[in-house]
Amino acid sequence: MSESMGSSTTDSPRRWVRVGSSTLPDSQAALAEALQGIAGPTQPKLVVLLASPHYDLAAVAAGLRDGLPDGTAVIGCTTSGEIADAGSLRQSLVLWALGGEGISVATGMGQGDGQGLRQAATQAAYCLERLPQREHTVLLLLADGLCGDQMDVVRGAYDVASLDVPLVGGCAGDDLAMKRTSQILGDRVLTQAVVAAAISSEAPLGIGVSHGWKTASPPMLVTGSKGNVLASLDDRPALDVYLEFFDPPEPVRHDAAAFAAFAACHPIGVRRRDKIEMRHVSGADFLNRQLLTVAEVPQGGLAFLTEGDVDSVLEAAEESFKLAIGGLEGAPPVGLLLFDCVSRRSIFDASNLHEETDLIAATSGGVPMAGFYTYGEIARTKGAGGFHNQTLVTLAIS
Amino acid sequence: METSWSLHLLSEILSAFSTDDPDNLRNAVNRVTEAVDAEVGAIFDRDGITCCIGLSPREGARLVELADARPAEVQIRSGTLHTCWATIGKEQLVVGRLGDPFDVEERSLLRAMARSIELSIGLLRAISAERHARDEAHHDATHDALTGLPNRRLVLEGLNQALAREPQGQMQQVVLFIDIDRFKIVNDAHGHAAGDQLLINVARMLRESVRESDLVGRLSGDEFIVISQTATVGAATDLAQRIIEAIRRPIVVAGTELSHSASIGIAFGETGQEAHALLENADIAMYQAKSRGRGHWAIFQESMRAEARERLYLEGELRHAIENGEIESFYQPIYRLSDRSLVGFEALARWRHRQLGLLPPSAFIPQAEASEVIVHIDLEVLNQAAGAMARWQRIDGLADLRLSSNLSARTLNEARLQQRIAGILDSSELAPGSLYLEITETMLVDDIQSTTATINGLRDLGVRLAIDDFGTGYSSLLYLKRFPVGVLKIDHSFVDGLVTNPEDEMIAGAIISLAKALGLEVVAEGVETEDQRRIVARLGSDFGQGYLFGRPQGQKETLRLIEDYASSRRHHSHA
Repeated sequence: MSESMGSSTTDSPRRWVRVGSSTLPDSQAALAEALQGIAGPTQPKLVVLLASPHYDLAAVAAGLRDGLPDGTAVIGCTTSGEIADAGSLRQSLVLWALGGEGISVATGMGQGDGQGLRQAATQAAYCLERLPQREHTVLLLLADGLCGDQMDVVRGAYDVASLDVPLVGGCAGDDLAMKRTSQILGDRVLTQAVVAAAISSEAPLGIGVSHGWKTASPPMLVTGSKGNVLASLDDRPALDVYLEFFDPPEPVRHDAAAFAAFAACHPIGVRRRDKIEMRHVSGADFLNRQLLTVAEVPQGGLAFLTEGDVDSVLEAAEESFKLAIGGLEGAPPVGLLLFDCVSRRSIFDASNLHEETDLIAATSGGVPMAGFYTYGEIARTKGAGGFHNQTLVTLAIS
Repeated sequence: METSWSLHLLSEILSAFSTDDPDNLRNAVNRVTEAVDAEVGAIFDRDGITCCIGLSPREGARLVELADARPAEVQIRSGTLHTCWATIGKEQLVVGRLGDPFDVEERSLLRAMARSIELSIGLLRAISAERHARDEAHHDATHDALTGLPNRRLVLEGLNQALAREPQGQMQQVVLFIDIDRFKIVNDAHGHAAGDQLLINVARMLRESVRESDLVGRLSGDEFIVISQTATVGAATDLAQRIIEAIRRPIVVAGTELSHSASIGIAFGETGQEAHALLENADIAMYQAKSRGRGHWAIFQESMRAEARERLYLEGELRHAIENGEIESFYQPIYRLSDRSLVGFEALARWRHRQLGLLPPSAFIPQAEASEVIVHIDLEVLNQAAGAMARWQRIDGLADLRLSSNLSARTLNEARLQQRIAGILDSSELAPGSLYLEITETMLVDDIQSTTATINGLRDLGVRLAIDDFGTGYSSLLYLKRFPVGVLKIDHSFVDGLVTNPEDEMIAGAIISLAKALGLEVVAEGVETEDQRRIVARLGSDFGQGYLFGRPQGQKETLRLIEDYASSRRHHSHA
């Protein structure tokens, strides 16, 4: 393992976090390298596996089962880019390990189908009932982001977690192929599923969320929308409204890949009570002139076309981190887990991609951190809703 | 200027209701709660919570208790829950938020949301009631009301669809055409309610005998259909056999045990074939199965179609023949063996065909027996013969002449047989005691239960039974005690073998002595030679019938025979 990918060692004997990572292309070799990074003072209670979809996930999951002590729970998912101490990665395998006497963990899963994940999320969340609850609890959720309305993942989990337990997590990715993502529980590799880890700690857990996008258009009435399809804005085809307003380069108007890349930095904002909620535009139906979104843009609502830039995204990252640290009630962080929307990554280019993670690493004082680029983020701390797009969600462990 | 946020959230709620979503109410509660960043949302009535998010069931129940007081704040484990209450018809909506209390705009938004949910639910109920009515109408139009099975229309639809699909692998469409044997008799003898019970039971048996993917339907009356897919002919015949055995199990209806059976025609379909053509094939095969007796199956073969056509043609011709008086009764004399005295006649059907001339029974009776036509023939022959016999009995010295007339199985099972025979006796003025109705032993034994009622009815009329073609075994003799049987007729095949085959003589001898022991008179049929006459007389047979004594003849010739006989008797007595 290279120095820059080495393990982090900010330590608390009762609660600790380690991160291991590897960019080696071979599954077994990458796993072996990443495993070295998470060797901690005690047996880990939970290992979160974040892996590029090109790895042989069944082999990696089996390797984790064999390589970790009995009693260490494993959940994980595929990604569209990973984050480790070294910063933003591609095509890598990252392990985030949580351990210590001050931590309890229980895991669960629910199998969904093409129609949605609400029931699956509810089933996965039942792991909360098997958890010896301490003072601070959070439910970590990893869901298939290509499956139905993602708001339902939060709603399904909330049915079990209720207002006492915050929800945090993200939607699995597949390197923007938008075809198939995987979720992992133990040595099982699943798809169209939700996996969950209920984490309970004797010390505070903090969650931060922020996006940094700004409204660019005047407000528009959502006149036609169902599920993940946004059909019309102000009674005009949504795709036409979108393209007219942004006037993007020619390929964006008819090429699916070019459109997806452009749309990643031009989400739709939905008016909520005291904020604008972002909805990632995942594609377009060129024939029917519709926009496809990962979560509902509700009909009858008020929508905006939005845009962001490097500065606003960086500001939001700092904000998300600060909110998470703020939740620790003054206790020092021992580790971070980040859920960063894949669309935020496209704001950057190769030369400045590291700036977001550098900023967090610098502000946190170098605590071990890991994360992945998601197709949607989950952060519910207040209110019943908590599904986000275009945001950075930070979970801080103290 | 941007319009109020709450207006748009309200319009979201109005838009969110979908008639296709079974979780409407729960989703509405989610949306309302999320709209105001609240943690708790619940709908409940006096009986309890309909839907609640954000609270444990125990804490949710506490909210219900507070419904009358509607407090603005409720203390829960996590802190102070600010609440806002609104009415949804007979139910209540409560939304609770930790942190900020609800301001005026939010409270008015929540009331408006509650009202829109109420209106939407009302509208949804109206829509789903209409849908339900439409679905029900469609169901009624495509299903049989009695058994709930798909009716002919839906069966044809399903079969057409199945035949349009390319079969998978070795699989082939197969149709089983199921007909309840003698259903009409059960219906007539035990009433329509019993018949209905039987049909419901058959429907249940069929459903239990088939796979879930198979289609069971009722075409009409007692005709059912099973559409399945099989890889082999054996699998189809196994299914048919299973169904036959399932239906054969007796059921108790209104305290009576009904035993019944079914005949099944099997036909295999080909892709692109018309459904009604395949059904017709199965129907034809079913007919074939019926001709093999009750509780059989038959697989359709192309040759059956020609037979079916011929049968239908002949059936039509026979109906025409009956209407036109082409069916005639012929009479074959029966003599007492001891003194060669004439004791009576057996009436036999002949068809005086307008082109083909006089046809023997073998040319039309088997075909007629396959349909209701035989009933008309039997009764027509009896009617003619009874009239003739009543006249003959008035000839001096012949008052004791007897008439034997045949009843086929269908005729015996005819619901109003007793009344119809009574009618014939009445109009002909023939004394019931001189009428012997001939039935075969198999008819008697095959279905003792339903036959008993009919035969008891005939006994009440005063007529007697003769058992025709007796000879397959004397086990049946024991049954005879239960019925008003007066005469046993030894089959001519026995009589044929008497001279050459000593075993036949032994068997015939045993049957005759047993019949005597039961007090029955015995007629030997098919006596053609003097040797045969001598032997049957020695074995104890009372009467003889056959070419030796006289062939069947028309009414005129028979009258001449009778007059000759009467005059020779007179001459003899005078001499």
